[in-house]
Amino acid sequence: MSANVEAAAGGGWSRLWAIAPLALLLAIVLAFSAYGESITALLGRPPPPADQFDVRRVQFHPGEIAVKVTNPQPDELTIASVTVDDAIVAFTLDGPRQLGRLRSSTIRIPFDWIPDEPIRVAITSSTGIETVEEIAAAVETPEATARGALGYALVGVLVGLLPVALGLLWLPALRRTAPQWLAAFMALTAGLLAFLGVEALSEALQLQAGLPTGLGGAGIVLLGVATSWLTLTAISRGFSTGSAGAPRAPSGVALATLVAIGIGLHNLGEGLAIGSSFALGELALGTFLIVGFMVHNVSEGLGIAAPIADGQAAASRLRLAALVAIAGAPTIVGAWIGGYLTNDLLGVLFFAAAAGAALEVVFEVGRYVARRAPGGLSSPFVLGGFIAGVAVMYITGVLAG
Amino acid sequence: MPKNQLTRRGLIVGAVPLVAAGPLVKLALDGPAEAADGSLQSHVHDHAVSGHAAMLGESVPAVGGARDLDGLLYPPPAKPYEPGRVSEHTLVATDVEIEIAPGVFFPAWTYNGTVPGPIIRATEGDTLRVVFRNYGSHAHTIHFHGIHPANMDGVFEVVESGGEFTYEFEARPAGFHPYHCHATPLKKHIHKGLYGAMIIDPREPRPPAHELVMVMNGYDTDGDGGNNFYTVNGRSFYYAKYPITVKRSELVRLYLANLTEFDLVNSFHLHGDFFRYQPTGTGDAWEYTDTVMQCQGQRGVLEIEFANIGLFMFHAHQSEFAELGWMGYFNVVE
Repeated sequence: MSANVEAAAGGGWSRLWAIAPLALLLAIVLAFSAYGESITALLGRPPPPADQFDVRRVQFHPGEIAVKVTNPQPDELTIASVTVDDAIVAFTLDGPRQLGRLRSSTIRIPFDWIPDEPIRVAITSSTGIETVEEIAAAVETPEATARGALGYALVGVLVGLLPVALGLLWLPALRRTAPQWLAAFMALTAGLLAFLGVEALSEALQLQAGLPTGLGGAGIVLLGVATSWLTLTAISRGFSTGSAGAPRAPSGVALATLVAIGIGLHNLGEGLAIGSSFALGELALGTFLIVGFMVHNVSEGLGIAAPIADGQAAASRLRLAALVAIAGAPTIVGAWIGGYLTNDLLGVLFFAAAAGAALEVVFEVGRYVARRAPGGLSSPFVLGGFIAGVAVMYITGVLAG
Repeated sequence: MPKNQLTRRGLIVGAVPLVAAGPLVKLALDGPAEAADGSLQSHVHDHAVSGHAAMLGESVPAVGGARDLDGLLYPPPAKPYEPGRVSEHTLVATDVEIEIAPGVFFPAWTYNGTVPGPIIRATEGDTLRVVFRNYGSHAHTIHFHGIHPANMDGVFEVVESGGEFTYEFEARPAGFHPYHCHATPLKKHIHKGLYGAMIIDPREPRPPAHELVMVMNGYDTDGDGGNNFYTVNGRSFYYAKYPITVKRSELVRLYLANLTEFDLVNSFHLHGDFFRYQPTGTGDAWEYTDTVMQCQGQRGVLEIEFANIGLFMFHAHQSEFAELGWMGYFNVVE
């Protein structure tokens, strides 16, 4: 009783006490910055900085190579000398010559580079350490033109929008399918999404591994995954409590929308990968590759159709078109972003978000199937459908590889 | 998009070397205008937007001012033979961080603060006395090429940090000889910068000439066992920024030595003229050529009378070395 009174009376003070750890931390940080060297000196002499630049992007313009570099280390890093194919070259800088932590500059080198030939750009620091960037083939970096944007958009339509729309055309046929087979198709949807989730997660981790250590570790992938997973959970709760009183797992069009969002986020990453690989000259957008992506993505449309058919839900054409747009249009946006703004950090976040979304939707579909499917999650139709979903994605993925 | 499509922009870029070529030709015909600081006022500079334009004049990435390397380029005068003379020199080993290319610093071990070390000159028959003080952080020696007693060879009498040793022997044979540290690990002690060259003049003096010394070297700045920069006399592209002025028809005598570590050979190629080459600066066998090759430790004497005025490039004929700093110009004037 008296303790409660005390707590109430001290409410203001106890809130102030919450600041105390921060204030003390600040004081210790200041003291350490001032006198800390005498402590670290006890440990011996620190090693010299690595003095390696992080080469963010190499662009080829007519008569010029532009190299964006970042300093990934705590110590300052100076751009002293630049070579192209082991020859010292003259250059100018957009930005400082001496880079502070995580600061960037763009090195502009007047150079008659030879299209389609490998080229090697190296930046030497003031301590003589060389950072070498090998480019497999010099290809002119596309400018942000209306033509280019249209090109990326059309590629996005071909590999994203169109296949999803085609897959959705299975809806009338699905509506006439027996319940156990519908459960199999729902499980197939879950299989597709699980595959996409794992693929996106691996892509995110790979890209993250290539980031400079200064930009954080694998935790950034978790940040992306958790954010999109929780956002999708919130959206699905919003769907399920919208009309009906009691909260229940989403089904029908609502579940199809979740599936479309999951696929859409994945396709954003896919578009990003296509756009940036093309812009960096690492990908030839040949007929085979585009056809591969189309076949790969047709099954995504099937994944959206299955919950609508299973829920016996009515869906207007406009609704269906919206679902196609949610799932397929992000490919176009991704291709634009990838084509013009190559940024690995952004790539990591996109792929992590795609992974989180896809896996969350697998979870939602799983809950739905568990409740609805004849025989539950362990029915052979469900198990077979899931495995079939993963297998279909793997096999068609080989085409796009 | 079809490859190699001819675009308007492509044409403009393609024309750049042509635009640059005009002033270059003019420059070669007129001879360059020399600025107050000795660097060439490059007419090319404004047009040097293409990576294929010649590296010339003030836009060249080279360290320092016009006369910085005079002490390493112009040897002290030869002295006529005089029996019983003692030629005394002092070499001090110090650890110095030197700037070898703009903004690129190399933690060097040096004789007298420079890489290469000072030019030593004596006449055959002189008693050469070199006082060596080691102010460096490691044990060093001086190993002279030449004819001398075993205990003066710079191999066994290792001079500890803070120590001192006096090398004394007769200067012979006449020629151009390198000297370098012979402490182990040898590769490290040499490539860190402990080397230089020594002229031993013959008793019968060579004809008077405009004399120059060039020591070819390289720097491995990132420790991968390969050179990142190549130079003569220690700074990459220095003589491209500050061409060496000589007179037409005047006898130019160039003492050339190779102290490049890691690479098997280095070379010297002169544009627009030929020279006579006397290997090691000894004997009577002169070769008439425009390109010579030297392995590490090899050296020789070149004699040239330039036939024409203008700018004449010289460089290693290994293109890679040339483009990593081992390139310069003679500015031949009337």
